[in-house]
Amino acid sequence: MIKTTRRTALSMFAATAIGLVTAAGLSTAAQAADAIKIGILSLTSHSPSIIAEGKGYFTEQDLDVEFVSFQAAQPMAIAIASGDIDFGMTAISGGLISLAEKGAVRIIGGALQETPEISGQKILASKAAYDAGLTSPDKLAGHTFGVTTPGSSFHYMAHKIADKSGFDRSELKITPMQKVPAVIAALKSGQIDAWSIVPNIAGALTKGPEVVEIGKVSDYIDNYQVTTVFTSTKNVTENRDLVTRFLAGLSKGIADYNAALVDKTMSADEVAEITGMVHKYVYADQPIEKAGPRIAAGAMRINEGAKLNIASVEDQLAWFQSEKLAPEGVTMADLVDTSFVESY
Amino acid sequence: MSLDATNEIETRTRRNTSDLQQSRKGLVKPVPFRGGGFVHTRHRLIAPLLFVVLVILWEVGSQTGFISNIALPAPSEAAGAMSDLFETGMIWKHLSASLYRLVIGWSLGSLIGVFVGLAIALFSLVRAGVSPFISALFPIPKIALLPLFIIWFGIGEGSKVATILFGVFFPTVIATYGGVDNVDRNLIRMGQSFGLSWMSIVRKIIIPGALPAILSGFRISASIAIILLVAAEMIGAEYGIGAYILMAGALFATDQLIAGVAMLSVLGLTVGWLISRAERLLLSWRA
Amino acid sequence: MELILDHVSHSYGDVEVLSDISLSVGSGEIVCIVGPSGCGKSTLLRILGGLEKPDHGAALIAGEPPSDSLNPLTYVFQDFALLPWRTVEGNISLVLEDHSVRKDKARAIITDVLARTKLSEFANAWPRQLSGGMKQRVAIARALSVNPAVMLMDEPLSALDSQTRELLMDDLIELWGQVGFSACYITHNLAEAVRLGHRIVMLSRRPGKIREIVDIDIPLSERINHPAETSAIQRRLWEAMRDEARAADRELSDVA
Repeated sequence: MIKTTRRTALSMFAATAIGLVTAAGLSTAAQAADAIKIGILSLTSHSPSIIAEGKGYFTEQDLDVEFVSFQAAQPMAIAIASGDIDFGMTAISGGLISLAEKGAVRIIGGALQETPEISGQKILASKAAYDAGLTSPDKLAGHTFGVTTPGSSFHYMAHKIADKSGFDRSELKITPMQKVPAVIAALKSGQIDAWSIVPNIAGALTKGPEVVEIGKVSDYIDNYQVTTVFTSTKNVTENRDLVTRFLAGLSKGIADYNAALVDKTMSADEVAEITGMVHKYVYADQPIEKAGPRIAAGAMRINEGAKLNIASVEDQLAWFQSEKLAPEGVTMADLVDTSFVESY
Repeated sequence: MSLDATNEIETRTRRNTSDLQQSRKGLVKPVPFRGGGFVHTRHRLIAPLLFVVLVILWEVGSQTGFISNIALPAPSEAAGAMSDLFETGMIWKHLSASLYRLVIGWSLGSLIGVFVGLAIALFSLVRAGVSPFISALFPIPKIALLPLFIIWFGIGEGSKVATILFGVFFPTVIATYGGVDNVDRNLIRMGQSFGLSWMSIVRKIIIPGALPAILSGFRISASIAIILLVAAEMIGAEYGIGAYILMAGALFATDQLIAGVAMLSVLGLTVGWLISRAERLLLSWRA
Repeated sequence: MELILDHVSHSYGDVEVLSDISLSVGSGEIVCIVGPSGCGKSTLLRILGGLEKPDHGAALIAGEPPSDSLNPLTYVFQDFALLPWRTVEGNISLVLEDHSVRKDKARAIITDVLARTKLSEFANAWPRQLSGGMKQRVAIARALSVNPAVMLMDEPLSALDSQTRELLMDDLIELWGQVGFSACYITHNLAEAVRLGHRIVMLSRRPGKIREIVDIDIPLSERINHPAETSAIQRRLWEAMRDEARAADRELSDVA
């Protein structure tokens, strides 16, 4: 039993206070780490930050990380604009560009990218539409195509498919469903004809009888930079050091992620360790035996060192503007800060 | 009677209050006035004036940067978005799509609602059987049922109209049977005593008697219909004010968002005005 | 035609309100029923008109009602019971529509009863625009329009102020002189009873029993000229009723 009189408590308090003051005065190394908040979605593509945190790569950079979960990409971008979180990772959307135009957020790196050698996003058709002749993406003209919202990455993919297949964009009937589960329900029940989605969801869907895979997104969009890393403009201008340290930590997490789940160069034990970390946030409602394979199935390559494919971002921005889904005045400089990572 | 006497009476009657105050200095004072106030006087110009002042303040705040561009777009930007809508003619596409859903959904919901409400009020068997269901289903947010509506009615116009219809149905039922319950029983007894048929009593006494309650129910259900429009147009709507607002939200185009909300507001005011007209027409007997 | 109550008793739950009442209303006769409050007068009237079924005994009709009578037993209510959403004319046509009296015929009847009740210029007025006395005139006009064999009048003047009541009493007497209607007239006001009743039936307090029946021979139109006789009758009735009225007043009421 610890007995503390008021006097000893006081003296202890005084000692601690003096200790703190001296520590602060003496060295920056002993300083409390910078607290940052990272927004994540419960998707495998958000694993790198989770791995970086789990392996202590952020602690190495003197960052104290807190994860904030979101249901969709759009609120994450708004939360960065409002200062509730510091970093996020999502697809480029009309909302993100609009916030960049208002000087609130900036893209600082690249993440998920379509590459020909890795199984990427799939183009799906409902069984009914497939049976009626929709057997490949270039036959999509005149069909309904599910998107979450106008100006989402799904919308972009749909139009890119139309462009490459050589039919007019307006021949695709873009059908907004707001949420991914709603798109899934509509596709399964045949209320929409087609959709495109990341491989793990696509895989789960095509196992059932209602949905058929008809193509790959990578065949229609070259080196599509699907998601990017972004932060607030304030961090970019005033806290460059913090951003650099975050990207350094994240890069190590990305390397581990690619090695463990995409290239599969790690030992089984290491993979299990990493899957365990990711499982805390992704498919957390399922047991690890079930979640493990699903996490692995959803793994698409994430650019080493958060490299950014500028050409793809430019193409996306141009598309948003051509469809009047983003303000005309936005320039690449408004949207992207290329000074942090290698870009190509 | 002397001349003096008549004079005296005249002067006494002619003396007014000010004379009294003069002649009895200090003893007579007016009863303190304690009435007044608590009366509604009509000020027609106040609301528009206040609105204009608020918009000007808002514009100035936005121009000077006091109101952040992210927090709220300037009214001039919202007006710009609105004029874009007019220029491209998109406003008519959005409006006609929304009005179609509103009119069909609200009319059907009101019609069925009035019938069910009357049935509940008039037949105790129906009341015993149906009214618990109404009470149980009324508080369910119809938005929560949207996924089911999509399976039942498809992602086309069906689910949109159904969302509005269900939202309108329940308050109409409740307003109707509440209105019938409040019809003066003596009037019904009067009808019976004059040998009026059951149908005549319903048609000539009960329905007109419940009409004020039904019409104020319409006022509420029309607002609910407009509120539900945004929810109804969440799924698979290419055009419509709700779809426009949702798209503006997704694109974080706050100027369009405000323009869309303003359209809903104007729609609400118009509907309110129409119902006031209907009330004045149908309830002219109330003065 | 004669309307008869034959040994009628009635209870609401445990409370007996009417006990063994027999009376009749003959053709062209006004029977006034008086009694202290809560003696079951209104129940009696509802039973007479077939709006309520007595526990024991029966309300009977002797003889055929006149063939042109659309609604032989017609009420006039204390609260007028006019539809506020119909004009004076509309309120009268309401009761004609259901007896398939339409257009010219209905118009003729309405014009006639409005003239009789001195309402011709108010045909298009809304009930809310009318005073209480005028509203009751409309209700009486409405009752006359169906040419009733017996009018069942439930305290028709009680909601009115005393001056209006006087005026309406004069009108009723004048109307009786023209039409000669029969009526069962319920009131707690003895002055009304002695002015309007050919016969006055006095009920005791709950349960209502017949205490006394008084026939007044003086013709209705002459009564104003015989103040001594009428006030003597009124005084006698009051003497008989006073104690009952006092007791009734002090009673706790559980039935409305």
